[in-house]
Amino acid sequence: MNFLLIQAQEDSVAAVDTLTKSYSTDWKASEGFEQAGPLIQAAASYDLIFIVLGVSLIIWFVLLFFIIRVDKKVGRLENELKQSKKTVQHET
Amino acid sequence: MRLKPWKYVVALWMTGVLIAGFLIPIPEIPILLESSRNLFLHVPMWFTMAVCFAAGFVYSIMYLNNPDPATDRKAESFTQIGLLFGICGLITGSLWARFTWGSWWTFAEPRMNLSALGMMIYVAYFVLRTAFDNPEKRAKIAAVFNVFAATTIPFLLYIIPRQLPSLHPGAEGNPAFSEITAPELRYIFYPAVVGFIALAFWLYDILYRYKEMKHQLEQQQA
Repeated sequence: MNFLLIQAQEDSVAAVDTLTKSYSTDWKASEGFEQAGPLIQAAASYDLIFIVLGVSLIIWFVLLFFIIRVDKKVGRLENELKQSKKTVQHET
Repeated sequence: MRLKPWKYVVALWMTGVLIAGFLIPIPEIPILLESSRNLFLHVPMWFTMAVCFAAGFVYSIMYLNNPDPATDRKAESFTQIGLLFGICGLITGSLWARFTWGSWWTFAEPRMNLSALGMMIYVAYFVLRTAFDNPEKRAKIAAVFNVFAATTIPFLLYIIPRQLPSLHPGAEGNPAFSEITAPELRYIFYPAVVGFIALAFWLYDILYRYKEMKHQLEQQQA
C-alpha cells in the first residue's frame, strides 16, 4: 500500500517513519502474524480492514445500546405520566 | 418494556449495512481507493438531512395553518435531527476532502461553502427560538423562519453548485451518481440511505416524546 498523501516529516527532529517500519521492538504483534492462531490470522488479513470494521461496530453498538436505553427510559416516563394523570382525574 | 418492532429492524438493518459496506469488494478507483466506501456514509448524511428539513418544513407550514403547539414541537425536533446529520455531513466531507483533494477546506469549492452557509441558516433558527419567552410568539416566528430556511436549501445544495465549476461530484462534467458509478456501490448505497433516514426518524421519535412529556409536566405544575 502506498500512502502518497501522508508523508513522514523528514526535516523534523523527531522524524520517525512509523508508516513503513514498526515504531519500536515493543510492537511485536505487527510482525509475525504467521505464527499467530488462525483467528488472529484471519482478522489480520486484507490489510487489517476487519479491524476497522470491528472498531466501527463497537462504536455503533455502544451508540445503539445508548439509544435503546434512552428510548426505554422515555417510554417508562410516558407510562408514569399517563398513570399520574389518570389518578389526578379520578381525584377531581 | 419493549420498543416498537420497527426500531429493532432499523438497528439490525444498519448493522448489516455497516458490515456489508466494509466488506464488499469494490473496484479500485484512482485517488479515491478504499475511501470510495465513504459514499455509503457521507452521502446519506445529506439525504437524511434533506428529508428531516423537509419534514420540519411541512410541520412549520402546518403550524402556520393551524397553530397547535404539538406541531411546533414536531417541526423543532425534525429540524434538530436534520441539523445533526448536516453537521456530520460537513465534517465527514472535510475529512474526505483532505485525502482526495488535499485540503480540509477550500473556499474555491461552492458546494462545501454553501452547505456550511445552509447549516448556519439553520443554527440561526435555534438562536431565534431562544429569543422569545412567549411560546406562541416563538412558535409562530420560528415557523416563518423555517419556511425561509427550508426554501434556501435546494438552491444552496443543488441548484447553485451545479452552475459553478466544482471539484465535488454533481457539477458540470462530473456527475454525482450516474452510469459511470460502479454498480456494486449502489447495492450498499441505497440501503444505507434508507437505514440512515430510518435512524433519523428513530432519533426524532425519542426527541419529540421527550419534548411532549416536558410540556405535559410543565402544564401539570402550572
